[in-house]
Amino acid sequence: MIKLDRRLILNFDWTLFILVLIISGIGLLNIYSTGFSLTDFRQTPLYIKQLQWILIGLVGMAVAFFIDYRFLSRHAYIIYGISIVLLLVVFTAGYATRGSQRWIAINGFTFQPSELVKLTIILALAKYFDHHQIGRGYHLTELLIPFTIVIIPFLFILKQPDLGTALVILILFLAMVFFVGLDWRSLLIAGAGGLVLTPIGWYFLKDYQKERILTFFGPERDPLGSGYHIIQSMIAVGSGGVFGKGFLKGSQTQLKFLPEQQTDFVFSVFAEEWGFLGGMILVAMFFSLILWGLKIMNHSRDYPGALIAFGITMLIFWEVFINIGMVLGILPVVGIPLPFLSYGGSSMVVLMTAIGVLMNISVRRFILQS
Amino acid sequence: MWKIGDRLGGYEPGQFKQRFRMLFIIVSVALSLLVMRLWYLQVIKGDELRQRSENNSVRLRKIKPMRGLIMDEDRRVLVDNQPSFDIVFIPNRTKDIRKVIEKIKALYTERSLKFPALTSPSDRVKPFVPVLLERNISMEKLAVVETHALELPGVVTEVTPVRQYLNGEMTAQIIGFTGEVSREDLDRNIALHLAPGDMIGKFGIEKFLDDHLRGKNGAEQVEVNVAGKEVRSLGRIPAESGDNVVLTINSAIQEAAWTAIGNRAGAVAVLDPRSGAVLALVSSPSFDPNLFNGGISFDDWESLSNDPRHPMENRSISGQYPPGSTYKVVVAAAALEEGLITPETSFYCNGAFKMGDRTFRCWQEKGHGNVNLHRAIVESCDVYFYNLGKMLGVDRIAAYARAFGLGAPLGIDLNREKGGLIPTKQWKLSRLRQSWQMGETISIAIGQGYNLVTPIQLANVYAALANGGTLYRPRLIKQLESSDGHVVKVFQPEKQGVLPVRPENIKIINQALWGVVNEKGGTGYILKRQEQDVCGKTGTSQVIGLPQDEKARKAKRVSADFRDHALFVCFAPYGNPEIVVAVILEHAGHGGAAAAPVARKVIETYFTLKKMTPTQQQAQSAAEIRGIPKP
Repeated sequence: MIKLDRRLILNFDWTLFILVLIISGIGLLNIYSTGFSLTDFRQTPLYIKQLQWILIGLVGMAVAFFIDYRFLSRHAYIIYGISIVLLLVVFTAGYATRGSQRWIAINGFTFQPSELVKLTIILALAKYFDHHQIGRGYHLTELLIPFTIVIIPFLFILKQPDLGTALVILILFLAMVFFVGLDWRSLLIAGAGGLVLTPIGWYFLKDYQKERILTFFGPERDPLGSGYHIIQSMIAVGSGGVFGKGFLKGSQTQLKFLPEQQTDFVFSVFAEEWGFLGGMILVAMFFSLILWGLKIMNHSRDYPGALIAFGITMLIFWEVFINIGMVLGILPVVGIPLPFLSYGGSSMVVLMTAIGVLMNISVRRFILQS
Repeated sequence: MWKIGDRLGGYEPGQFKQRFRMLFIIVSVALSLLVMRLWYLQVIKGDELRQRSENNSVRLRKIKPMRGLIMDEDRRVLVDNQPSFDIVFIPNRTKDIRKVIEKIKALYTERSLKFPALTSPSDRVKPFVPVLLERNISMEKLAVVETHALELPGVVTEVTPVRQYLNGEMTAQIIGFTGEVSREDLDRNIALHLAPGDMIGKFGIEKFLDDHLRGKNGAEQVEVNVAGKEVRSLGRIPAESGDNVVLTINSAIQEAAWTAIGNRAGAVAVLDPRSGAVLALVSSPSFDPNLFNGGISFDDWESLSNDPRHPMENRSISGQYPPGSTYKVVVAAAALEEGLITPETSFYCNGAFKMGDRTFRCWQEKGHGNVNLHRAIVESCDVYFYNLGKMLGVDRIAAYARAFGLGAPLGIDLNREKGGLIPTKQWKLSRLRQSWQMGETISIAIGQGYNLVTPIQLANVYAALANGGTLYRPRLIKQLESSDGHVVKVFQPEKQGVLPVRPENIKIINQALWGVVNEKGGTGYILKRQEQDVCGKTGTSQVIGLPQDEKARKAKRVSADFRDHALFVCFAPYGNPEIVVAVILEHAGHGGAAAAPVARKVIETYFTLKKMTPTQQQAQSAAEIRGIPKP
């Protein structure tokens, strides 16, 4: 299972590794800035905690790198099963903050299994589609099992309630299905079904979730309520101008008028302090990261490898796009973290591990004979 | 949909080339969208949004936290907060702060009021951050500013809490004061999230526990219209009050010591030998911390900092004095432990001790005759200890002194504690580049020469003797409580070490200390109480070396600045000591005559308090000082 192969080192994917380190480093500086003005001196500063998470994430990355991804793929269902069990634990022993139950506390560290599920679903779907290659577009009936794989955690997570993560899981499923190919008639039926189901789905949303989506269409209508986030976020970003206000100098940030600024709205902090120039560079870095992931997919030596690489890359892409889009006011506010920048241990560790898997696939194309 | 193609025939690397291209386009378009939106917000609408963030529409109002209260052991409030009226300028419509100040000055001068000199107000003026112009203004000034509000655009009066030090000078050295955060502090402690105008502890407990006392600023973002009027609140983060501090200080004992010392310069340190709790800490002369409330005026500051009597120095922890005869217990313990003497060992004192060609005098010029250790301590015979010093040598004495906690700061809960000085041969060589003279050891043995101790160290030495040999860290802080009364932290006694002296030898010394006060001929006989329960030691420390000839010695006693410091340390009751008192009076002459009466007042107050029933105590405290109830 673990073989220390010289080629693992020789062909190590430095580009990917360094890109992730730089982005995480930017994230760390940014967290430092968010915690700069009004933190509680009795607690460990957030940036220290974030640094700890990055280090733990690097361990996860190393582990994922050294275990052959084909081993992971072989045991994908077991790994998936474990993550679902963890998700169930949240329901029984979970730890609730701000009205939703998402966390498990172990030894003072809290962990969010729903983040882990994002990765295990990719592995499970990749294994399924690898074992069921049919040479044409899948029919809806043939997608029943992968749909089940996704719908179980989806419902649990929606119930927590964590709309953002549930949405990401759904998007991952759709992306994977499109990737392996969908029969055109099935596509039509699914599209029509989606249109019908949307109003029904609306009925199941919590009030605050409805509120967020509504205010997205007219934030100025309710500036004191839920539109406040969007307005404040846009003011923060816009006031950064071309060059930004400078590190630790963002008034919107330092005066704490951005809610959730270390987590979901972390990009507005960055954009306020570093301006258009900084924001563009950061987006360019994410772009490079995503392209690199797609390149790894393209060069993968086997089918599951390509599928996993695709899934992970899509996870990063959609999270980046939705999160920044939300901060910039072009997408509704849903709780999706910005990869490597948002404060939060589970997301960081899982993404770092996912990067480890990517590097794993990247390096083994030199090792595996096709 | 993409073609699946020939996948059935086996996986071909690179078969997803088409998907790769497709995905490349999707990702590029999506991320370009983000960059375009970023461009729109930051470049096209940047100025407008920047205005919105900083200028007209949204204004930030700082909500000041309530600083924690400071209470004594019995929860009597020593420091609380009272409202103060401040004039604040908001650089909103007018940005020229200087014009506004000139205007206020002009209005003041009409009524012969004075505007305090600001250092350089135009620095650090940000469009949305209020600038404090004058703190804690009088009602008269308030009226002037309010009636001329129309002529003073952007000037607002605000009510903020300001410290009130209820005991003024009496506890000024312990409690300290607060002040506006300085530019240096702002630059140095960027992580403390302080802003210009914030008050921080500058001295004493206010400084030492500033992190706990200060609390957290809150803020409110308010939308204002073009006229600068507040329209509505956009968001509010409430301020968090600081923690309350309960000290180990007992106000009644503190007051007794403070009154007893009067206007003389000196210090009193009172400890509970069972725990190291500091019951009182007095330093005289003192200052009025309430002077600092509105930002101290230049004149007041000048006179305080240039006062030759140094009222700002906390003598009880940073005044360093030769311990004089109070040091003899350390030398006696060393000689006993080293086996150089037994309690019966006697030396003959004829009033002088010859060492080479030098003569060292006993304070009793007639001499004490034949004395053993007990009598030597009781009568404070110098010659006896000259002999011990000669036998021990300076380095052995120093080793014991250090083990008694001397020569280094004890780590009390205040800044600026000094460590005193315990000289060794090595110290003299490296510091003064001179070799040690035997004669110096002789002076050291009676606590003169280079020896320096602080009053709190002295009290701590005797506390360790009193409790049978344990050195505790002197503590000033009993507990921290949150503003709603929950106990945040309780401070426990902290053992710092054990005296390297066997219990039987400690007992011998304590018996002698009892004799000092209770036996005829004892130098502290003045302190004898009916209960015969006080043990103590007098000390007289020379400010300059005793002149050799008699005439000069007499002349010296006349001039106040060269008179000896008077010391007295004692503990009580004898069997099971509960209180240790160390008194140092500068240039006050002999310890027994000058310092012992101060200690006596403290001891008597302590035992009177103890005799009172709890209800009596409560009644007294209710009558005297405002208190807040226990949680």
